[in-house]
Amino acid sequence: MNPLLRWFHKLGSPPYFDRFAARWAPWGYGLGFLVMAVGLYGALFVVPADYQQGDSFRILYIHVPSAWMSMAVFALMAVYAAIALVWRIKLCEILAMACAPIGAGFTLVTLATGSIWGKPMWGTWWDWDPRLTTELILLFLYLGVIGLYNAIDDRRAAARAAGLLAIVGVVLLPVIRYSVVWWNSLHQGQTIRMFGESSMDASMVWPLAWMVIGTKLWFLGALLARARADNLRREAGKAWVTQVPEASR
Amino acid sequence: MSYLEYVVAAYAVFVMVMAYEFIAPRLQIRRAHRAARQRAARTAPRPGMNPNELTR
Repeated sequence: MNPLLRWFHKLGSPPYFDRFAARWAPWGYGLGFLVMAVGLYGALFVVPADYQQGDSFRILYIHVPSAWMSMAVFALMAVYAAIALVWRIKLCEILAMACAPIGAGFTLVTLATGSIWGKPMWGTWWDWDPRLTTELILLFLYLGVIGLYNAIDDRRAAARAAGLLAIVGVVLLPVIRYSVVWWNSLHQGQTIRMFGESSMDASMVWPLAWMVIGTKLWFLGALLARARADNLRREAGKAWVTQVPEASR
Repeated sequence: MSYLEYVVAAYAVFVMVMAYEFIAPRLQIRRAHRAARQRAARTAPRPGMNPNELTR
């Protein structure tokens, strides 16, 4: 068998996944912390203040990566949920459900930091603007997935039901993405482009790139740690759970 | 035009949520291990007890 395919099969084994997650989650957290520390240092102390917004523009260095993560995590959750529904892979159910609270956290950060930035810049904490409203609906969808998963006793049935909600919820992602194009919006349009020229000065972009990478690494650490916790809960009655060495707990 | 209090508040929210994402799974893992150990202790036969002995 292909070694990579064999590794995927082995990863589906709960004790193997526990060892894998225990080993790599600290790396995700550690690298994420270091990369975000560089990004935050640049955002707060190196990059000059904006000529119009002053220092309040520094909020974008946490707002934008969190907003991107809020949507990326939802898409990933839907992919895991679809795989779990089609091929009944337990690990994918666990990973999909582990995405939900982390994505909800990023969505909360997006809404809170956007609101905090909005007060001095727009003169209001909140506006029922298309971008803000759709992002709020995304938070409710995350909460719906978490709630549904915890409302059903049978873990596998719960993951399937919540996974279905995640798959249906994916239709919201392009609406969030293009809300500033389709409707007149108080929220600004696209400033930073992955491909092509950004309308933000190059000297201000580099901390953002560090933060984007840092949040992704932190997410990987959190995903593995949360999936490990759920895996242990599901396997609570098995002998291997009590035999896990103290150092990896 | 520093808006320092807004910047501090926004970064505080970010740090709190990231810290929660670090602490919450660790607590869940510890809780799962404790529950598994307690379950194993409950189901294990008591020392000195004959497993074939009939009990009520």
